[in-house]
Amino acid sequence: MKRLSWAVLLAVLAALPAGAQQPYYAGKTIEILVPFAAGGGSDIDARFFAQFFEKHVPGNPRVLVRNMPGGGSVLGANFFAENARADGTQLLATSASTIIPYILGLPQVRYDPAKWELIKVNGVGGIVYVSPRTGVRKPEDLARPAERLVYGGISATGLDLVTLLLFEVLGLDVRVVMGFEGRGPARLAFERGETNIDYQTTPAYLSQVVPLVREGKAVPILSMGFVNEKGVMVRDPSAPDLPSAYEAYQALFKRKPDGLLRWKAYQSMVAAAFTFQKALWAPAGTPPEALQALRTAVDRMRADPQFQQQAKQILEGYEVFRGDVAKPAVLRATRITLDVKKFITDLLRSKYQVRL
Amino acid sequence: MAEAVRAAVELFVNPTRLSMLVLGSAVGLLIGILPGMGGIVAVAILLPFMIKLDPFSALAMATGALAVVHTSDTITSVLLGAPGSAAAVPTMMEGHPMARRGEAARALSAAYLSSLVGGILGAVGLTLSIPIARPLVLSFGSPELFLLTVLGVSFAGSLLGKEPLKGLAAGLLGLLLGTVGPAPAAAEVRFAFGQVYLTDGIDLGLVALGIFGVAEVVSLLARGGAVAQRLELGRGWWEGVLDVWRHRWLVLRGALIGMWAGVLPAIGATAGTLMAYGHAVATSRDRSRFGKGDVRGIIAPEAANNAVEAGDLVPTLLFGVPGGAPSAMILGALLAYGILPGPRIVTEHLDLIYTVVWSFALANVLGAGVMFAASPLLARLTYVPFPRIAPPIVLAMVLASFQETQHFGDLVTLVVLGVVGYALKVTGWPRGPLLIGFVLSNPLERYYFLTVKLYPRPEEWLLRPGVVVIGLLVLAPFAWSALRWLRTRGRGQAEVRGGQPPGPGAVATAAVLAVFAYAWWQATGFLPDAALMPVSVAALGTVLSALQLVRELRGQASPLRDEDEGEVAEEEGGPRVRRAAGYLVSLAVYVLATWFLGIRWASALWSLWFLRGVARLSWPAAAVYAAVLVAGLELVASVLGLHLPAGRLRL
Repeated sequence: MKRLSWAVLLAVLAALPAGAQQPYYAGKTIEILVPFAAGGGSDIDARFFAQFFEKHVPGNPRVLVRNMPGGGSVLGANFFAENARADGTQLLATSASTIIPYILGLPQVRYDPAKWELIKVNGVGGIVYVSPRTGVRKPEDLARPAERLVYGGISATGLDLVTLLLFEVLGLDVRVVMGFEGRGPARLAFERGETNIDYQTTPAYLSQVVPLVREGKAVPILSMGFVNEKGVMVRDPSAPDLPSAYEAYQALFKRKPDGLLRWKAYQSMVAAAFTFQKALWAPAGTPPEALQALRTAVDRMRADPQFQQQAKQILEGYEVFRGDVAKPAVLRATRITLDVKKFITDLLRSKYQVRL
Repeated sequence: MAEAVRAAVELFVNPTRLSMLVLGSAVGLLIGILPGMGGIVAVAILLPFMIKLDPFSALAMATGALAVVHTSDTITSVLLGAPGSAAAVPTMMEGHPMARRGEAARALSAAYLSSLVGGILGAVGLTLSIPIARPLVLSFGSPELFLLTVLGVSFAGSLLGKEPLKGLAAGLLGLLLGTVGPAPAAAEVRFAFGQVYLTDGIDLGLVALGIFGVAEVVSLLARGGAVAQRLELGRGWWEGVLDVWRHRWLVLRGALIGMWAGVLPAIGATAGTLMAYGHAVATSRDRSRFGKGDVRGIIAPEAANNAVEAGDLVPTLLFGVPGGAPSAMILGALLAYGILPGPRIVTEHLDLIYTVVWSFALANVLGAGVMFAASPLLARLTYVPFPRIAPPIVLAMVLASFQETQHFGDLVTLVVLGVVGYALKVTGWPRGPLLIGFVLSNPLERYYFLTVKLYPRPEEWLLRPGVVVIGLLVLAPFAWSALRWLRTRGRGQAEVRGGQPPGPGAVATAAVLAVFAYAWWQATGFLPDAALMPVSVAALGTVLSALQLVRELRGQASPLRDEDEGEVAEEEGGPRVRRAAGYLVSLAVYVLATWFLGIRWASALWSLWFLRGVARLSWPAAAVYAAVLVAGLELVASVLGLHLPAGRLRL
């Protein structure tokens, strides 16, 4: 008899609408660990999402951002892998600099995103533009510029790896000068005429370079491209008028790049470093109700007009994907084959004096 | 200009904007008082509120906070010898000795008044230069920026002290310390010793807190008594006002140096302030009092450090290239309003820019005004026996250092740098050149490589007019000194006594020599582009410190001393150093205890021991004080959203 009443009680509880229960996150505080310094792109992204998680996670938890810079984000990610509480109150924001060392299998990496739970992921695009002095107007001209191409980069093992692979794919003869503090100072060098080919992520491109294009001081050539859910490179959604790197290759070589090792390397790095750049993870073993609450919040954000409006600037109009939907594609992007890895390490060693 | 006036009027009339500005300034002042915390913490606290305001009020609030964090960090720098930020180090080097002489009120009022004027000059300068700032900034190419960093380093030349050999070696030590971490021009991490913690290099905030803050607090404790050893002479407060008036052109020059250091990339806020300080020393006829409490050494950097923040807004707003983390965070907030920095901001949002400019000026008047009025009151803190106020300072420094990356390595670095700082201080190594070397090491190396790689043929960049002009500015003081040396040859040798047996100073020199030699040996294995800077610095450092060691072994040893007080009496020196070593050990134990017990228990136990054993409070008083301190720690951490290091035992 007693057992029966318990069963009835449970059945009644299960049948109750969700609103009658205390939401999982009521009265809790979520901490988003950002393994970068305050003020950087990942920090801005995390703080932007923090306010909308507060609004849309049932129970309206407090959401705090904690910056833990060091080791080019490896230190914070290691800390998360070893110490995070798996109760949904600690999340990690990652960016290309967290994922690239993981992909290349660098020894200091002690984390494995494949074991984590993905909450959301959103990407950025990159636009390549040149100085009018180069005489380059469209991708075909890149093979014969009027003056030697000079590119200003930050470091060969960071996001610039993608640019180096692009130059490799397109067979460009570019003098690469590494050592800028960031893409902003590199753009200033372009404006001063010290370099003549440059790329910027889309928001910086739209706000800083488009005015230069109007004044005739810069010519956009191609976009880094965007890898869709089928694993195919398409045009950048926020620069639909520009050919992607895929089309640029076709224009230059009159054939498709598919199957080429260098193309495989380029496309997998674009996916990992650009298309899925800003990810938010929960540790393995996070309770399903917590994951459910967080992922539902992502859906609700996407429908929130205020979010949509602000996302236009902060997220450059790129879509935010729910973690469980995007995880297979994200993990696919982080798994590169041995021949691709060897191609990348050989390229870095032979051309850019990098010992991995 | 019409927009400028309208924005100003709007700011003063609109109650929301004005009140948000006042609120922001209040937060900025309070945060600034805590040593080691500055603009980042202030903006991080305000950010959640800013999102809820209109862009004008939000910007007024953030600017208000940023404008005054360097105003209030003067308090701990002058009164307690703990620099509130790296940019406050010059103020500490000159202001703190003044406080010890009983001239705290004069130092503070001079500092606040120059801050105020510097801030206003910065705002005016901004207003005038916004229309031309873009082409002006773009006219500085990589070669010019490289020479500007060389110019900055050469300013260290005026801070070498009595023993130029040591001064030069100290500057090289700073340059070497700055090469720890990723090489700018090659994919190589240097001097990390397999520690992931070191792969991003050593944080500037930690260098200021350790080399200067910890070293100063420890040496004050070892000396005993209150900070001020004499009672105030005359009306110090008014004296400070007169000082600023007497050196009004220095205020102007300091503000201009600061503003341009903020506007141009590559230099940075701290280096700009240090350059203003170096400039004050270099242009003074009588330099004998610098480092011992010369008010000119406060006026120039204080005028500069507020103008720097104003100048920093130019690249942030016009180019979307923020000079520091706080302005980067403001940039993020602007993006949320759909305001994109860049060329168009001047045409589309000029009112917004001028709101920032005028908020900046107004916040300076408010912040510096309040502190200026309060300075006679604050100065009384220097008459309290120092051991009684040391615990909160030490706790604040430990807490602040942990905020840099929130890894235990921060605390270890703090203690190690504290030991190094004290050792350098007591054996007469000037730390000013070290700091300049450290802050400019990375930009110097970066822009050297960018220059030679972007301009492969030397004549392409060496003959640029900007390069020639800045190059002459670099060389002029050397030519001048050489001339002076020729004229006064043989006279006025440094007062180093001969025939001294080599003492602890020689041990320090030998240690410095060992560091240079080891670094030299290590650096030869780096990639060529990563090796050039550390190899040349370490090789030169090895030679100079070896020369110095030979001098000392030959009997030209320098006695133990407090940098600003001259030498310590023979019989006092030994015990004093031993006491200081004891305090450093206790600090190391404290940090170790934090590792096991977490900061709460470690702080409670350390303060209890210190208050009972050193400050000689009664047990109940010590217990209550320690409890209040831990509660205060908890409160500050929760209000500021800071993280407290948890121990292995997870208590």
